Amino acid sequence: MPEANHLEGEVARLIVETLNLDIDPTGIDPQAPLFREGLGLDSIDALELALALSQRYGFKLRADDPNNTRIFSSLRALTEYVRVNRAK
Amino acid sequence: MHRFGECCGASEGRASALYEQGGRTWYFANYEWTFALRELAILEGFEAASAIAWRDGRPIECRQFLADVAQLAESLPQRAHVFNLCRDRYYFLVALSAALLRRQVTLLPPSEAPGMLLDIRKQYGDAYCLTDQPDCPADLPVHHYPAQSAVVTADQTVPSFPREQVAAVVFTSGSTGEPMADVKTWGALLAESAMAMKRFWADRPRPAAVVGTVPPQHMYGLATTVLLPIQAGFALHSARPLFPEDVRAALEQVPAPRVLVTTPLHIRACVAAQTALPDLQFILSATAPLSPGLARQAEGMYRTEVLEIYGCTEAGSIATRRTIDGNVWRTYDEMSVYQRDDRCFVEGPSVAQPVALNDVIQLRGPHEFSLHGRLADLINVAGKRTSLASLNHKLNEIEGVVDGAFFMPEEAPGAVSRLIAFVVAPGLSRQALLQALRQHIDPVFLPRPLYLVNALPRSQSGKLPRASLAALAARLAKKRKHKESA
Repeated sequence: MPEANHLEGEVARLIVETLNLDIDPTGIDPQAPLFREGLGLDSIDALELALALSQRYGFKLRADDPNNTRIFSSLRALTEYVRVNRAK
Repeated sequence: MHRFGECCGASEGRASALYEQGGRTWYFANYEWTFALRELAILEGFEAASAIAWRDGRPIECRQFLADVAQLAESLPQRAHVFNLCRDRYYFLVALSAALLRRQVTLLPPSEAPGMLLDIRKQYGDAYCLTDQPDCPADLPVHHYPAQSAVVTADQTVPSFPREQVAAVVFTSGSTGEPMADVKTWGALLAESAMAMKRFWADRPRPAAVVGTVPPQHMYGLATTVLLPIQAGFALHSARPLFPEDVRAALEQVPAPRVLVTTPLHIRACVAAQTALPDLQFILSATAPLSPGLARQAEGMYRTEVLEIYGCTEAGSIATRRTIDGNVWRTYDEMSVYQRDDRCFVEGPSVAQPVALNDVIQLRGPHEFSLHGRLADLINVAGKRTSLASLNHKLNEIEGVVDGAFFMPEEAPGAVSRLIAFVVAPGLSRQALLQALRQHIDPVFLPRPLYLVNALPRSQSGKLPRASLAALAARLAKKRKHKESA
């Protein structure tokens, strides 16, 4: 699925650029958790990321959404959420 | 103990209250609410059926709260100390109250980092974790918050607790890396709420509910989103909304007048996302300095006032200001600040003895001052506080680390500055170092980035001048950018 992979790369770059992470976007394990373990992001990052995602893709994130833990569970899950919910 | 409708009448219409602590008598003038500071009573503004909390748009009645406290108190194990890790604010309140009833001291760790909990437990050997989450972050005895709420009985009494009773111990990071305990008596905690009530609502109607984006485990959140509501007679929202949309949804679930207790980060996120919030009595901010520009934007967008609290873990809330009015802070009427040698101290009914403040403060009088940044060694990331000494200590304790130092870059306006670390650790990967650090420090302090270097720019005397670290950081950042663009 080249299109899905393209979006995954785009989301990975957005994460790295937004949060000024010291990693190569292509090096993010798409299945690894983004928060705590894995990339070790925290709630400050989540806020920054939510803002960047909403500006880029035109949807608003909700943490109390039952899907929340799934959305941020990995790069792949986040990309899938973006694919389904994007408004632009 | 008092029953609904009994004790309340006794203090109604009281215009002032006297209260003694530390050999001094504190006089609360023009105190109009039904409130008896001498008894340090709670729930006086509530009827049995009043909402004490809101969850998912539904009220939790005060009598339900009393039943839940009684049920939980009965089931708690026989121990002296408890980590209250409940994330749901209502469960946190029930757990805190149940612990008070059982004369158990609530421990409030600065984070749930497993190493932090284990470090604290070295000093409180019988401590167990009380949590509303399926998993406990550390390998400690666990008591789970009950899945079922309690059955409400007809005969209920409101407990009261002696003001000398130790209610909680809050922790800050000491310079050796060991958590430093700060003991809060029930009296000190409620004295703080009483002063806040007077400051915020002397000229305003009592709000109906508060929504907080800050955790109840921190002093600011504990005081403003847990103790203030139960003492002042308004409801708390059980959730801790994170994203702007969550904040909006939570506020819409509670009746007006509403108060939002939050931080500069969340305010910035709401303003940047242009989130429409329902009418607010005011927005309260703390944990980090709020810029007047952002405060002005928020005031305009939400047609409300943005107020700020200045405080610290050791002293609780000390002073307030309306941010757009400038850099002048007014202490709570009963608190005062003074200078001795180079340090400023605060005293008042919420502190057992004068507390040294960790900021550069210019006094304008005993009740007024301006703030000019933090003292050198102290670090504040998103309201979480530690010292460079503490972080460096933990970094250098990791096996395989030869030398290492944290560095805090200059704050960029409006953004959160993250720490940088330089580490000499041949044979260790960045990943392994971060993993080891994560065990002992709060994630907000994790270095970003962590640079592996051959040596630190130490002077001949072994010191690490800030300027040398700043130069090293600039050099490495440039190298990194170059690599990225190549």
